[in-house]
Amino acid sequence: MTTLTVNGTRHTLDIEPDTPLLWVLRDQLNLTGTKYGCGIAQCGACTVHVGGQAMRACVTPLSAVQDQEVTTIEGLSDDGLSHPLQVAWREIDVPQCGYCQPGQIMAAAALLASNPSPNEGDIASSMNNLCRCGAYVRIRQAIVNAASTQSQNQSQNQGPGETS
Amino acid sequence: MSTSLEMSRRDFLKASGLAAGGLVLAFQLPLVVRQARGAAQSGKPTLNAFLTLDSAGQVTFFSPFIEGGQGVYTALPQIIAEELDVDFESIRVEQAPAGDAYRIMFDGTQRFTGGSMSVRSSYMAMRRAGAAARQMLLQAAADQWQVSIDELDTEPGRVVHASSERSIGYGELAEAAGALAPPANPALKDPSRFRYIGKPVSRKDSAAKANGSAEFGIDVRLPNMAYAAVKQSPVLGGEVASTDEAAIADRPGVISVERLPGAVAVIADTYWHAQSALDALPIEFENAAAAGLNSEQLMKEMRARVDEAGKTAESLGDIESSFNDAARSIEAVYQVPFLAHATMEPMNATADVTAERCEAWVPNQGVDPVVQQIADITGLTADKITVHTPYVGGFYGRRFITDYGQQAVRLSKAAGRPVQVIWSREQDTQHDYFRPTMTVKHRAAIDSQGKISGWHITVVGDGPFTRLMPQFIQDGLDSSALEGATEQPYAIPNRRVDWIGHSYPVKIGFWRSVGHSYNGYVTESFIDEMAAATETDPLEFRRQLLNDAPRYLKALDNVADMAGYQPGVQQENGQRIAYGIALHRSFGSIVGEVAKVSITEGQPRVHKVWCAVDCGSMVNPDTIEAQIQSGISTGLSQALLEEITIENGEVVQKNFDTYRFLPPNQMPEIAVQIIESGAEMGGIGEVGTPPIAAAVANAVFTLTGQRIRRLPMSRYDLTSSA
Repeated sequence: MTTLTVNGTRHTLDIEPDTPLLWVLRDQLNLTGTKYGCGIAQCGACTVHVGGQAMRACVTPLSAVQDQEVTTIEGLSDDGLSHPLQVAWREIDVPQCGYCQPGQIMAAAALLASNPSPNEGDIASSMNNLCRCGAYVRIRQAIVNAASTQSQNQSQNQGPGETS
Repeated sequence: MSTSLEMSRRDFLKASGLAAGGLVLAFQLPLVVRQARGAAQSGKPTLNAFLTLDSAGQVTFFSPFIEGGQGVYTALPQIIAEELDVDFESIRVEQAPAGDAYRIMFDGTQRFTGGSMSVRSSYMAMRRAGAAARQMLLQAAADQWQVSIDELDTEPGRVVHASSERSIGYGELAEAAGALAPPANPALKDPSRFRYIGKPVSRKDSAAKANGSAEFGIDVRLPNMAYAAVKQSPVLGGEVASTDEAAIADRPGVISVERLPGAVAVIADTYWHAQSALDALPIEFENAAAAGLNSEQLMKEMRARVDEAGKTAESLGDIESSFNDAARSIEAVYQVPFLAHATMEPMNATADVTAERCEAWVPNQGVDPVVQQIADITGLTADKITVHTPYVGGFYGRRFITDYGQQAVRLSKAAGRPVQVIWSREQDTQHDYFRPTMTVKHRAAIDSQGKISGWHITVVGDGPFTRLMPQFIQDGLDSSALEGATEQPYAIPNRRVDWIGHSYPVKIGFWRSVGHSYNGYVTESFIDEMAAATETDPLEFRRQLLNDAPRYLKALDNVADMAGYQPGVQQENGQRIAYGIALHRSFGSIVGEVAKVSITEGQPRVHKVWCAVDCGSMVNPDTIEAQIQSGISTGLSQALLEEITIENGEVVQKNFDTYRFLPPNQMPEIAVQIIESGAEMGGIGEVGTPPIAAAVANAVFTLTGQRIRRLPMSRYDLTSSA
């Protein structure tokens, strides 16, 4: 038995512990937003967060996430719309075919969580998810836009009366 | 009261003529057809095959084209919203089912998504569909209010009667309008009043694609559904000789092992169980068609044929005399490899077959042939077969061929339950229908004045029409392989293009921009070779030969201006850089591109790309920009990295670690300028791809003196020559 938390919900699963997290999410938990692209951690379409870190679910065995908190694209924001990256993605229409986009957004979300104001070099060095449509120019731009929105939100939230 | 339309006659509307493959065909839209299942079976008032309207005013548009990233689920509703006069946001989009009603291409005979044709082939049909529906709503209001239709107008979603200050929502008129016969010649909106067409309207699919809810074929989930993994012969074209099923009998979740044509499948309760059991299953293959084939040897054989007399596809002037009379001549042989499509969503399909019916989800670029394939396999008639096309995770020509769909149907039939088949990335890469390897020889005659007097192109290889659509082979010529070599705009008086077909047992197909994908690279590289041979700047050389081709000249001049094009090696921030230029017409659009390139660690580094595209007229400039960037990324990817090689009949590259395509850190910034010349609307989805490899290769020549005559450029070490 493996116990893990996915998007805030606790699951106890009787599945072979070497099963990749990707297929547990897709086939057992019906969370199909996390995509299969290559199975060898090359493309990033399966990117999820484990304990807040970006991980490639296709090479992460279930046993490695015992008692861990997993977040998938479905759990990135409460309404599926409001994460600054999701807002930015819509605003400049990043997706084309869209298949790699959940992985792109999860990779970008992990980047922004650790580095709220990434510069061009930070984005280039941390975003290596593949996109066969070549939507890379807009992906970069949307990350920059989301970082800017996020920092504005934070400065507003830290205004008088908001913080102790 | 019946809400479906009963028509006593088929009502055809003539739309614009359209050119394709050298043929000019009128095409007609059967605006309302009894078999229009998508709209008519929805139970909602049907305005025509493409549109339903419910009593709450919800408009649903049934798209005859798939959405695979190119933005057609946005562009077509833009056109509908414009003419129907509703807010764009209020239109819901669904994929139209199979059937006659949606064959709106080529004289009402074809429906497919490809050839960069969706918007341009349906633009007038969509305008008429929207306008006809609007007129039916006006007529319904006129009937209800007992006034002349001429006194009525619309505002978004409403019919208004200004003189009596009355208005009524479209939804309230839906049933009455749906009972009317559609008008044959509805009045179209004056383009000066367009509020959507030509404007950057937001994509309809962005939200779903940013939160994981967009459903692709691989995401289909059905009650009692099993999963299948397949393995096809590693040596291409082999048949299954034997399997040892006992070896996996104890594996968890395995339901059955099935044989398919050329493949073995394991069906299990989850995909992982199916794939891991298949990986452990001993399988012997035999009789492989490609046994012993080596792609490097194949390319040598093709190269050895370049001086044979080919079949002439195009001829102008007297090519023989131009070479006989030449002061000198130049020649070069170019070669490109097989390429994989590498769609991010691997091949997959889901089918639920019973004795009475079949429902299938098959990502495809043309749904009608899928229905036929299912009918052939199951013996069911077309009316018992429903094929859904969800969002497609990339297609680029691959999903014209739905071999995976046939597998899903056979497996569901065998298992007696719904089955989803998923190709592993390894299967997807090895068993693709590859962009064919091609060998192209160019030679040019230079007269005593130093002018190019003759240009002879010989294309050696095999083409997708030859293999997959032989009905399009005319006079033994495969235009899908020759496109982009023929119909050159340059004013060179004597020209000939020859074709030498060279067959081999490797599956090939349509890859983004098809023949243009290599002919754009080769022709525009050789144009630079001609410029160098005549000691003329590459931009100026092209300009001199385009005096009678103003659209080309404008695209060229505009992109040179945008880029601040400079001839020769430039110094920028202590770095040697060069601008390479290329110009190419494909799919009805003319595209000029400039690449700013340096040599870094022995490889070209592309810093920025500028593109000017004359597509005649446009619907959505924002999706055009995205598609041009996308097309350039594909072209740059094949220029720099992509190659499928075959050794002893087996594809060497099996996954993304060895089949490398453009990663984000090699994607340059790309500036796009759209030129609305007013010419017939051109395509967009593929037109960015053809010129870029030449633009980069031409810059590399400026920087290093090295001509890149074989792709990908990762084969070269440019360190010493930089």
